[in-house]
Amino acid sequence: MHSPTRPARRDAGKTTQTTVLGCLRPGLRATAALAAAVTAATALPLVAPQLTRRFVDDAIGGASTRHLVFVAVGYLILAVAGQGARTLTAWLASRLAWDGTNRLRERLAEHTLGLDLGFHGRRTPGELIERVDGDVVAIAEFVVAFLLDVVAGVLLLAGVLVVMLTVEPRVGALLLAYCALIGFAMAQAQRLAVPSAARSRARYAALFGDIEERLAGLEDLRANGAGEHAVNRVHRASGRMYRAEFRSERIGSGLLAGTSVAFAAGTALVVALASWARWSGTLTVGTAVLLLQYTQMVRTPFERLIDQLRQYQAALAGVARVRDLLAERRTLPEPADPRPLPASGPLGLRLDGVGFAYADDGAPVLSGVDLTLAPGETLGLVGRTGSGKTTIARLILRLYDPTEGAVRVGGLDLRNADPASVRRRIGVVTQDVQLFTASVRDNLTLFRPDLAGDRRLREILAEVGLGDWLAGLPDGLDTGLGGDAVGVSAGEAQLLAFARTLLTDPGLVVLDEASSRLDPATERRVEAVVDRLLAGRTGVLIAHRLSSLARVDTVAVVDGGRIVEYGRRDDLTADPGSRFARLLSAAGVAR
Amino acid sequence: MRPVPTVMAGLARSSGLRRYLLGGLLWLPTYLFPIGGGLLLKRLFDQLSGDRAADLTGALWLCAAFAGLEVVRGLNIVTAWAYGVYWWEAAATTLRVNVLRSILTARGAAAARLPYAPGEALARLRDDVSDLVQVTDDLVDLAGTALFGGTALVIMAAIDPAVTLALVLPMVAAAVLSRLLGTVIRRLHRRARRLGAAVTAHLGDAFAGILAIKTAGAEDAVLARLRAHNRRRRNAAVRDRLATDLLDTVTSATVEIGMGIVLLIAAPAMHHGSFTVGDLALFTGYLGWLTALPRSLGTFLYRLPQAAVATERLGRLMAPHEDVHDLARVSGVWFRRDPPPVPAPPPHPDPLKVIEGRGLTVRYGCGRGLDAVDLRIERGSFTVVTGAVGTGKTTLVRALLGLVPLDAGTITWNGRPVEDPGTYLVPGRVAYASQIPRLFSDSLRENLLLGADDDRLATAIRLAAFDTDVADMPDGLDTVVGPRGVRLSGGQVQRATAARALVRNPDLLVVDDLSSALDVETERSLWERLADAARDGRGPATLLVVSHRRAALERADRIVVLDRGRVAGHGRLDELLENCAEMRRLWTGELLIEAEEQADPTVR
Repeated sequence: MHSPTRPARRDAGKTTQTTVLGCLRPGLRATAALAAAVTAATALPLVAPQLTRRFVDDAIGGASTRHLVFVAVGYLILAVAGQGARTLTAWLASRLAWDGTNRLRERLAEHTLGLDLGFHGRRTPGELIERVDGDVVAIAEFVVAFLLDVVAGVLLLAGVLVVMLTVEPRVGALLLAYCALIGFAMAQAQRLAVPSAARSRARYAALFGDIEERLAGLEDLRANGAGEHAVNRVHRASGRMYRAEFRSERIGSGLLAGTSVAFAAGTALVVALASWARWSGTLTVGTAVLLLQYTQMVRTPFERLIDQLRQYQAALAGVARVRDLLAERRTLPEPADPRPLPASGPLGLRLDGVGFAYADDGAPVLSGVDLTLAPGETLGLVGRTGSGKTTIARLILRLYDPTEGAVRVGGLDLRNADPASVRRRIGVVTQDVQLFTASVRDNLTLFRPDLAGDRRLREILAEVGLGDWLAGLPDGLDTGLGGDAVGVSAGEAQLLAFARTLLTDPGLVVLDEASSRLDPATERRVEAVVDRLLAGRTGVLIAHRLSSLARVDTVAVVDGGRIVEYGRRDDLTADPGSRFARLLSAAGVAR
Repeated sequence: MRPVPTVMAGLARSSGLRRYLLGGLLWLPTYLFPIGGGLLLKRLFDQLSGDRAADLTGALWLCAAFAGLEVVRGLNIVTAWAYGVYWWEAAATTLRVNVLRSILTARGAAAARLPYAPGEALARLRDDVSDLVQVTDDLVDLAGTALFGGTALVIMAAIDPAVTLALVLPMVAAAVLSRLLGTVIRRLHRRARRLGAAVTAHLGDAFAGILAIKTAGAEDAVLARLRAHNRRRRNAAVRDRLATDLLDTVTSATVEIGMGIVLLIAAPAMHHGSFTVGDLALFTGYLGWLTALPRSLGTFLYRLPQAAVATERLGRLMAPHEDVHDLARVSGVWFRRDPPPVPAPPPHPDPLKVIEGRGLTVRYGCGRGLDAVDLRIERGSFTVVTGAVGTGKTTLVRALLGLVPLDAGTITWNGRPVEDPGTYLVPGRVAYASQIPRLFSDSLRENLLLGADDDRLATAIRLAAFDTDVADMPDGLDTVVGPRGVRLSGGQVQRATAARALVRNPDLLVVDDLSSALDVETERSLWERLADAARDGRGPATLLVVSHRRAALERADRIVVLDRGRVAGHGRLDELLENCAEMRRLWTGELLIEAEEQADPTVR
């Protein structure tokens, strides 16, 4: 298992542009097969009009009906084979596109999972889904269309031009010049269209971000009678999307109509030239029909090309957004010389003058925090909501690096520690437990089947008091749990989180509000589990409930991002002037 | 497939039927211009192949007319398109809004209708909606190509009926074949969609649970699972696409074959001169455009089953009593101006005297839930629901509020039965602060009001002990909070939710374990303020609270003790301690924990 932060280094020399293209690049054999199919799909339709010319000239020339029928049958065979080749191309292209875009999706997911909590805190899961999957879908659709309509279309166009140049050089040369002119104009117009397509897509993502939040907060909205109001908000977001979409589509439709007109003008030009050549006697009627057929043959791929241009805009906007996402830098630099934390036993913890501020606003959240914890000791963090306790926990877990000072675990500055060993040796149970739409087993091992066998999982569940719960599940460890904790109460979810942490063998455990949603009866069961978790391990315990701190050795009272009181719990309790003792008596008075 | 036409009819009318028809009428000429183009080409080629030397000036004029026709067509496209965009977005918005309105406001328990993962519901609102709009839009395309096809066939039949008939037959065959392929495509499409939704669901889970994944270092395992989902989706999507392409090929091939047939059958006529080169040019020209007819028919026919899948999937998000008519109801769109504000709920004439639930029963899959629970709350009372983990405390309040469907039991308000608690027990009667509340990415003011009048805002914030927090925020009430805004701590979110409920000035305030994320001082202050407000009428007179805390239990007029979904006892704390074993067990546990600190901190 490699560390979550390692890819940052892997990318260091690459631009994100090559990452996007690199993901989409197919293998050699697949490319060869596709190239063969595309060639066949292009060449076969090109031959067909030659037969029509033969047919017309021979018919006018008075050839036998048998000869004409023979030519017509040849045409039929060519036509059917051409269609077959096109279907084959489509199949190969969609396989390639899905393989490539799946790689891109996985690359994006990997990158996004590696970004810090600050990034995730600012974005809803729905918004990120739209960016990791929705944008990539737009790209996938385009890649298929690109291979089918753009590559095949351009090849056909080139083939038609070459054939026409050989058949009737003057008309061919004119058509070539005309196509080049239109192609240039299209490329220019297309560049105009990209920013408005990007805006339109951003509005689309925002609308779905809004809807996702409303669905997640469904019960809050319903129970507060705010459903209609939420619908109103969606109306507003839809309106904003429409206005962006309207601007973007107006450019797109202008392009389509413009090409259509340009194409017809081209046909008129070719036919006029053919008339002139026929008039001067240098051209047979059959060749005139052939020229018309080729010109018309160009129309479908040309129109599809323009149609794809709109998809191309969406895909380009998608690629731009994918690049933006990939350009988000990770804030936890990979250590130059990673050293592993001690592989077993409790880990000492030391915070030296630690300060922290979020990068986006720079307002200090913590300053001058000094804490020392010998291996095996337990520290209790006490303080009002928002005082900075959770931030301290996140620094200890190396979800962030301090902006001042250093966090040392097992004598090692976390910035120099091997990230994989940090994840293995430092465990946490947080206040909000996220369950996954997956089996109980996957929820416990977090999708790592090698982490523990079924027997161990059952033992652990029994240990945290979920043995009966497991026995009541229809499919045991294979029972699927819902993302919204279907069939799992908040307390049970909390117990599952304990089980998750117990599965690894951390040397330092952070319990952030771990028991806040448990009622006393269950909590007593959990206490035994917590005791076992803390036995032989260093612990940092954050709880608003003073009673949870009964087992700690030292207490730190946090207020406004500073440690305002710090000492052995017994000493602080015995000193009636200490803030901790006053908190205790306040609790006594309240109850 | 009955529901699909209903939805399509609704979508056609979503921005006004006139707009859809007018847009359609605007589009139709686009399809007719090529008829004229073909006739011009026929004359041109007849001139070219005539025995007498072709009149060059006449030919060039014909070419110019051909180009001029296309210019008019181009202008037509731009105009009709702008019209079409409005219709398209209006139709998509109508579907989305109707589904959302049903989820957010219709009778019945809405959460039960939502699929497990939020990503899945989102995928339906994105992809299925677009499928349905697309199929309705296709109807215009179908009408246009049919109009062209009909006209072209009449002209062609006038030239040579036999050849024309030979052209029609393969097209009919293609249409029949695509009908047969329909079921296969429907199945493949459904599978591809389902596996696609599994990918988004997994991604959604991963991003929502980022903290757990990061701290466990499970990123690689999550990605490995994503790869497995991706692989399955890829295989299904490629198959889905292949089936669609095959159908497409069948229709295109019919035209190519048709061209061959024209040559075959016209051979003798050409030989005799009764079928001219101009006729051939016209047939060739029309054939290219005729491709569009089987193609758009084929597209329409394969999208129709997809639309049926989409209708069904969207329908499942709607309430059981609603049908496709509600899904496609014309509910108006506001693209150019803001929608009118939602009127405040009318003051309800029947203030709470007593609310009662009898025999409330909820059965979950794994044998848990509620079993015939009775609950009686009188005006001015403070009721606490308590019990061990998973005994149904949250389920009880959620069932009472209609957030989970009842399998049995009745709820009455002042003795009158409540038909649908989910829409009846809302502000101003009842407001609810849930256990795991959500804030939206919007200003704090918007989050607290959610459309309510702001005259009670300051009072509500003070009552919820949230006033100092608001004062400390960078922009006060205008601070943007939620997933895309300022981070609030767990306790702040819960107090914000309490304020949100209090703004609505309900008769009954229901609070699910509000105190769990609050520290001692803040919690005490909150309960005192609420009690004071209840006494002097500034806040809700009646409280229903889920809690196991001493502070709440001692204050309670009435406690309901739950044990494995049943009522183990009810009454005041002292009565329960006297005669309810489960209450004694819970109470000793709580006392033990809370007393430890005070009794002798050196013990342990």
